Amino acid sequence: MSGKTKTEIAICALVCLAILVVPVFLDDAFLLNKYARYLVLGMLAIALSLSWGYAGILNLGQATTFGLGSYCMAMALKLKTIPVHTGPDGLPDFMVWNNVPELPWFWKPFYSMSFGVAAGIVVPVLFAALLGWFMFRGRVTGVYAAIITLAAMVVVQLVIIDQQAYTGGFNGITDLAQFDVAGFAFDAYGSASYYLVAICLTASLFIALAVTKSKAGLIVQAIRDQEDRVRFFGYDVAFYKMFIFAVSGAIAGLAGMLYTIVMEFASPTFMGVPLSLAVVIWVAVGGRQSLVGAMVGALVVAGMQGALSESETFLDSWTLVMGLLFVLVVLFLPKGIAGALEAIGGRFERKRLATTEQPERKDVESNPRHLESLS
Amino acid sequence: MTEAQLLIDQARVTFSGFVAVSDLTLRVAKGELRCLIGPNGAGKTTALDLICGKTRLAAGAVYFRDKPIHRLSEHAIARTGIGRKFQVPSVFRDLSVRDNLHIGRSSRPGVLSNLFSFGQGGDKAEIERLAELVGLEEELATPAAHLSHGQTQWLEIALILAQDPLLILMDEPTAGMTQQETKKTADLFCRLRGKHTLIVVEHDMGFVRDIAQTISVMHQGKLLAEGTIAEVESNQAVRDAYLGSGGIGHA
Repeated sequence: MSGKTKTEIAICALVCLAILVVPVFLDDAFLLNKYARYLVLGMLAIALSLSWGYAGILNLGQATTFGLGSYCMAMALKLKTIPVHTGPDGLPDFMVWNNVPELPWFWKPFYSMSFGVAAGIVVPVLFAALLGWFMFRGRVTGVYAAIITLAAMVVVQLVIIDQQAYTGGFNGITDLAQFDVAGFAFDAYGSASYYLVAICLTASLFIALAVTKSKAGLIVQAIRDQEDRVRFFGYDVAFYKMFIFAVSGAIAGLAGMLYTIVMEFASPTFMGVPLSLAVVIWVAVGGRQSLVGAMVGALVVAGMQGALSESETFLDSWTLVMGLLFVLVVLFLPKGIAGALEAIGGRFERKRLATTEQPERKDVESNPRHLESLS
Repeated sequence: MTEAQLLIDQARVTFSGFVAVSDLTLRVAKGELRCLIGPNGAGKTTALDLICGKTRLAAGAVYFRDKPIHRLSEHAIARTGIGRKFQVPSVFRDLSVRDNLHIGRSSRPGVLSNLFSFGQGGDKAEIERLAELVGLEEELATPAAHLSHGQTQWLEIALILAQDPLLILMDEPTAGMTQQETKKTADLFCRLRGKHTLIVVEHDMGFVRDIAQTISVMHQGKLLAEGTIAEVESNQAVRDAYLGSGGIGHA
């Protein structure tokens, strides 16, 4: 394992540890919930960093897989809620309002919580793989891939809004039961939910890190550099891209499920254009070629967004401040904060090497025989 | 004549109406080093492209080890044991020399087998041997973008050697190399033949003289002549094709 990889693992471990100890020092239900929400967004950033930073596929529809995961969880939690008007075993409230006579077939399996959780991963993965299959077999790359992902997201969102009787339409799915595992309930405002999110974030980060450090991850980066060249080594480029797209979809789906748990509802805005573009900004600011950088970027920018929009001074102008930040980062830090830190770290390393090597060089110059033995 | 490992059978390639290659038939035996020469626009690079699947045939067929390969996708052709070096060096500029070579080691091209492979594993020694062979052992950690033009050419040759294909297609391997480097490349190629089959497209006739056993001359998308360097040089049709440029020696 190279030194650089070790440093990267150490940084990831430190960041995750710092995230995990937050509830020890913070005893404020509202803040914990808010921070848990930011952590979920951090996972979304990791997902985009995988496909954009490593494979070079700018996914402008990253929120699609996020939203699909969110809806799967919401469907399972909704069926656990006892409806106010129709009593136990009754239909979910919005179906009653829409005159749906009985529970549609695709809702029925969601009575099982395990099915809901599995679907929250499998559905986004299938969606990403299928979309990827069409795009990458057809060798759609660059800006065209970005447009297709964006268009696909808008289509999925429209379908969900349009099928109000089955999806809750614009209102989404609200009034959900609490997620529980073997009788232990995760209160959205309790530290348990925070820990759940933090642990999932840590797992996602390290799984993504393992993927990028494997030879498959290396090949994916080669595809980003020179897609055509990779083919002639015998690697199935489309399959590799589809694979990384699916992994990215799985992480986004998991994040979506957690978002429903923390927010206590699912909404079509979770798979909206504004969220998808926001993820791109977080990842660009944090550094798209660094998983932990992208994640921290999401935490910092989403946190700033929250703080600015709540402060009185910036109540009207916070979007401008965010826009300015984005422009500055793109202009002056093309590799984001992580890239800038890495460059500074590299400079230090060289300086350190230079100072330790200098005395040895003197020896070499004053001793020509040493030179001979070298050559 | 020994049995052909590669057979291009009456191949025809057109680019939106323009005929780049027509009725090209080429047999290359196992272990042979074949040079492909010809004036600009003769279709030499296209001939390599149609073997490795970069361009598709309008008519004809390509057989490699008696199996038709012209309908396979590029990666499937590569997996049958064909490697390609491009005219413009195309290495992975963002990755280090070591990572480049690691990617070149593509005997197990599947996603799953590579997902659980970390570090260089069993390839480490081979990667270092190759780097030493092409004089890049000091540059293993350098990003490929920082290499000089000559070094990039060497890296690309090393990439092909890492892939270790049965048939190697080389498009102008010595372009931009110094005389010394060209000599070194010639030595390397002479060592490779026998173990590998090589098809080399080259303009540098000095280099061709150093390495060639059989030369195929292409002109306007067709095969013009084939034979040893002496036979080809004395061929009247070849002389006519190079008319005005003073013979192939000065092309």
